[in-house]
Amino acid sequence: MSIFGFHYRMESKAIGLTIGIIVVASIGGLVEIAPLFTIHQTVEDAPDMRVYTPLELAGRNIYIREGCYACHSQMIRTLRDDVDRYGPYSLAVESKYDHPMLWGSKRTGPDLARIGEKYSDQWHVAHLNNPRDVVPVSVMPAYNWLMTTELRTSDLGLHLKAQRAVGVPYTDDMIANAAQDAFAQANPDSPLADGVTKRYGKATTMRSFDGKPSVLTEMDALVAYLQILGRLTEAAHKPVAQAEAAK
Amino acid sequence: MIVEHAFLVGFSKSFGLFYLIALSIAVVIYAMWPSNKKRFDDAAQSIFHDEGGPCR
Amino acid sequence: MIAQLTLIERQRAIAICIAVAVGGALIMLGGRDDVMGIHGALIFVAGMLMIFRIGMSYYAPEPSEDRLTRYYDDPSRAGIVLAMIWVVFALAVGDWVAWQLVEPNLTFGPAWSSFGRLRPVHTTGVIFGFGGNALIATSFYVVQRTSRARLPDQVTPWFVLLGYNLFCLLAVTGYLMGITQSKEYAEPEWYVDLWLVVVWVIYFVLYLRTLARRKEPHIYVSNWYYMAFILVVAILHIVNNLAVPISLTSAKSYSAFAGVQDAMTEWWYGHNAVAFFLTAGFLGMMYYYLPIRAGRPIYSYRMSIISFWGITFFYMWAGSHHLHYTALPQWVQTLGMTFSLMLLIPSWGSAGNLLLTLNGAWDKVRDDATLRFMMVAAVFYGLTTFEGSFMAIRSVNSLSHYTDWTVGHVHAGALGWVAMITFGAIYASVPWLWKREQMYSPRLVEVHFWLALSGTVIYVFSMWNSGIVQGLMWRTYNEGGTLAFSFIDTLVAMHPYYIARAVGGLFFLIGGCVGAYNVWMTILQPGAAASQAGDVPQPPPASGVLQPAE
Repeated sequence: MSIFGFHYRMESKAIGLTIGIIVVASIGGLVEIAPLFTIHQTVEDAPDMRVYTPLELAGRNIYIREGCYACHSQMIRTLRDDVDRYGPYSLAVESKYDHPMLWGSKRTGPDLARIGEKYSDQWHVAHLNNPRDVVPVSVMPAYNWLMTTELRTSDLGLHLKAQRAVGVPYTDDMIANAAQDAFAQANPDSPLADGVTKRYGKATTMRSFDGKPSVLTEMDALVAYLQILGRLTEAAHKPVAQAEAAK
Repeated sequence: MIVEHAFLVGFSKSFGLFYLIALSIAVVIYAMWPSNKKRFDDAAQSIFHDEGGPCR
Repeated sequence: MIAQLTLIERQRAIAICIAVAVGGALIMLGGRDDVMGIHGALIFVAGMLMIFRIGMSYYAPEPSEDRLTRYYDDPSRAGIVLAMIWVVFALAVGDWVAWQLVEPNLTFGPAWSSFGRLRPVHTTGVIFGFGGNALIATSFYVVQRTSRARLPDQVTPWFVLLGYNLFCLLAVTGYLMGITQSKEYAEPEWYVDLWLVVVWVIYFVLYLRTLARRKEPHIYVSNWYYMAFILVVAILHIVNNLAVPISLTSAKSYSAFAGVQDAMTEWWYGHNAVAFFLTAGFLGMMYYYLPIRAGRPIYSYRMSIISFWGITFFYMWAGSHHLHYTALPQWVQTLGMTFSLMLLIPSWGSAGNLLLTLNGAWDKVRDDATLRFMMVAAVFYGLTTFEGSFMAIRSVNSLSHYTDWTVGHVHAGALGWVAMITFGAIYASVPWLWKREQMYSPRLVEVHFWLALSGTVIYVFSMWNSGIVQGLMWRTYNEGGTLAFSFIDTLVAMHPYYIARAVGGLFFLIGGCVGAYNVWMTILQPGAAASQAGDVPQPPPASGVLQPAE
């Protein structure tokens, strides 16, 4: 029996150490993060906030796939020069549907939180195709295949469904029509276009983003996403909200 | 159930401080406890006589 | 290596490989309409290759019972070789992307070679490929020696090591194909994350099983650090990667968290990955190899324990300093800043403790490049933790954040501390593991040391300059109250520093290649059979290389 006792003593020490590490290490994270899950009680509400359309969401996924977040932030800090350079500082509510967030950590290129509609579609297409055509000293890679790659829309319904599972309020109607809405948003003349404005609002940007209405390309999706950045809600532009957030 | 944000923040700010102090004191006491000294000195030396192979 | 396994262990290993191959085949078929299918094929091939490898030696004679009188070091040997392969690969990718910021056309066109896809290949390759393999290899080595106990069986360590490398391979190939979650330092998608959880839990259980076999009543402090590394990385990994896949046959998933919660979770993870992967694990390495190499016990064992709990406790709170002036509530930012400053106590406790250990052994530091690697690592550890606490102060962070200063800081830690201690530990343990008297060429260790040190210094200084210059330019105003410089102006100003950085990285890369060559030649030296025979030192190679005093 003494052998068993010996074993037991040894293991209890290692397990004690294990539990000690878990307890000591977990508490910091819990204390810091747990209150953030109740933050909606204090954060300003944005009733005008809309969700990403399927095309914009697809564009966001291309942004993620290409690692754009490695060089571009989407978070304007509450610093004077940040605000002067990029626009009103970012509010927490503005990224509440961002799974995951793309705040970024490095600005090898400029911040993109409010890039939407600052430049024309044509500029974005030319810039993505080869950045040095429009900004000669740019060090950004060229993404010329986006223009020739057709966007995969068949599984967009699944994307919306998964988004709903993590808390984004997509309706059954939106999920069922995801693929055709993606197509119609870049083809405003198609008969399906009315469905997009019905589901996502009159203000939805409807146009052929890449200038080629016949095919839906990855360029369409990425430009649609870039053009909606900072425009899902007007909350940050309202002086009241600014004052609220500054409190 | 709605947990008040203010309550959680308050708890974090107050409890965190006490926890920090208590833990620091506990660790220092453990490390400095006189009867532990021999054990620690032995442990520091222990890595130098190991190449005989495993005991089991 | 297979010959060291008993018959039953060979059968178990084959069963595991069959399970992996079947899993791969299922993923391949289920995900055939998605990039995930390619990963399935890769897993399948990996499983099949292992089955063939074991099958080839299946009927080899079983090992004799006296294997139990020796430590089981084959997985450590393989881990060190894998670490050296990963470091050369990942440093090369890192330097490539550094040159891309000098000349963007160095992508040569295809999608996979653009900066955004290669950057996680570099970070994952160095942190998980190089660092992770080195940690696994040395942890097996150290836990056996400090416990006087052999690893409890001979299959599990191989599962941990090779399973972990499969994780790294899936991660890196995934980025090239565009499979990423976009969470920095946690980019692999859900199914790769799940695989890592399996590997990691088994790693932890293996560690506990080995400790449970020990004869020493006290658990040596290195093992505390290694255990904190294994445990906390598991917690961080599981929480940060909670996500909902769009379907079981698709690689794509969406994070369970959004916006501000996601940012806090991500940087809680990101900062503690630095703490527990890149610090705790390597401190465990340091607390074993530095005293052994210097021939002196650790200066203050008590301090090492206080530092341990300090690091375990303080680091967890500091993550929010990555989010100063953002939409994160200010009290969380302040909390993060305060704890970042307090972190200096345990960090300098460790750095000072290690340097004081060298008191009385400075002549060895002068003569022995391996020990000098470790000494410089301790110095950089002290410097980087000071810099990190400094940069966590809100007003400093307002200047440094989003600039290359952060990149410089990270590399001061990664090159100066993590890579230096790892190279030191590898140079120390390769001759022990392969039963050689010394490295193939101590002169090349010396060369590697100076390449690594100069590369690090060039890199860090150029990034400090570039970061501070850019940060100041961003906030400079004209007399009229408008911004003085456009973003493009700052980009032009960065150009010379980017060249310097890439040159520094090249130095470090060449050093890594020299190291890999040296390790390989040490392994190839005559006397391989000695690893079975015992501890008889082999005569040095007749290569004509000058041998400084050891």
